[in-house]
Amino acid sequence: MNENDKIQILKDILFAEDSVYIEKIANRLETLETTLNDKKKLSSKVDPIVLEQLEEFKESIPATLGPTITATLKVEIQKNKDEVVEAIYPILGKMIKKYIAHEIKLLSEKINRQLSFKDKVKAWYKGSSKKREIIENLASCHIEQVLLVEKDSGLLKASYSNTQTIDEEMISGMLTAIKHFVEDAFVTKDQNLELIDYELYHIHLQSFKNYYIAVVLSGTYTTRAKDKVQNLIFDFFEKFTRLEGYRTLDMENINQQLALNFGNEHL
Amino acid sequence: MNISKKIVVLGYFGVGKTSLIRRFVENSFSNDYKVSIGVHIVKKTVQVSTDDTVSLILWDLEGTDDIASVRESYLLGTHGIIYVFDVSRPSTFQSIEKDLEALAKKVPGVPTQVVGNKIDLVASEEVDATLTEKGISFDYLTSAKTGEKVNELFEHLAKILALDAERIKGKLQ
Repeated sequence: MNENDKIQILKDILFAEDSVYIEKIANRLETLETTLNDKKKLSSKVDPIVLEQLEEFKESIPATLGPTITATLKVEIQKNKDEVVEAIYPILGKMIKKYIAHEIKLLSEKINRQLSFKDKVKAWYKGSSKKREIIENLASCHIEQVLLVEKDSGLLKASYSNTQTIDEEMISGMLTAIKHFVEDAFVTKDQNLELIDYELYHIHLQSFKNYYIAVVLSGTYTTRAKDKVQNLIFDFFEKFTRLEGYRTLDMENINQQLALNFGNEHL
Repeated sequence: MNISKKIVVLGYFGVGKTSLIRRFVENSFSNDYKVSIGVHIVKKTVQVSTDDTVSLILWDLEGTDDIASVRESYLLGTHGIIYVFDVSRPSTFQSIEKDLEALAKKVPGVPTQVVGNKIDLVASEEVDATLTEKGISFDYLTSAKTGEKVNELFEHLAKILALDAERIKGKLQ
């Protein structure tokens, strides 16, 4: 046995306990390293802690950050009043316009309900008051656009328009898709989508066997206006189907018919 | 003569239907993956001859995992179909025959173009080998990303539809 062997034996005796301890530490370090390098394992250990912290953070936001955020917002709004107004104006404007249109519709219908037949005859003789005339004018409904569309394909057959809009062929396609979608959703057979309300506009849809007519209206769409629109539609469609070879007529011809029928009509 | 025709573009999820249309209509391509929702309608007018144009009203239907489940009302009155599959994903063309049969039953006699898209993702020899091995016949192999064969596809369909219209007009007269 040489000197080195003796020292080794001595070491083993003296550090026996320590080596077991060191080995345990090494094992634990290895486990820790594996956990750290393995995303899944690390996430299973860390996620609950992070989640708990986040929950606490969420609960404490109103108390800790709330006043700071409010103060910052106040300062920013004060500093950029014009930008804020610019951003909010169109949204508020639309909301107010929609609200007023709705209220006028209610008012107009209320007036009509309260006027007795006698009152109406009297007013007709005397001429209606300026106020009533203004209210009626505000409440009146206008035809903005009329589309004659092939029911199945959604292809535009003809159109009449008061205002400039985006491509009418695309509008008629989208309207047809919406129509199909709604009619499919409510499985009952032979039911048709008849009205779409879009902000300040109403789209009246009247279906026939192979075609449907979409009338885009602005203003307050009362029952009286609806009745008149339906009459106009039926009147046009009757004339249209009486035309010789109406299915193959070119668009220009039918456009003229539509303009004759729906142009300058007051509802 | 200017005629309008309805074209339905359909296929499985993520085969690049919307990108194909976008490339044709807007001549651009977005790398952002976007699953189309429901149906989206766009229009492009194609000059088929000196005097004639065809307005293609393209109905871009949402991707599906079963062609038989395509909303039938969206297929009503269609004049042409573009069936798109992804050459890099065999799952999108493994039941192509069955799908085309189902479509032919729903809309009989409608001209259909079968299109393998995303050829920029796979080597052309590999595409040829796979499609030949599986016995898949197609009309066009396209790439919405590079624009390869995209215009040709839509223009070809527009020409077929213009000829059809001429034929019908001739019969009527």
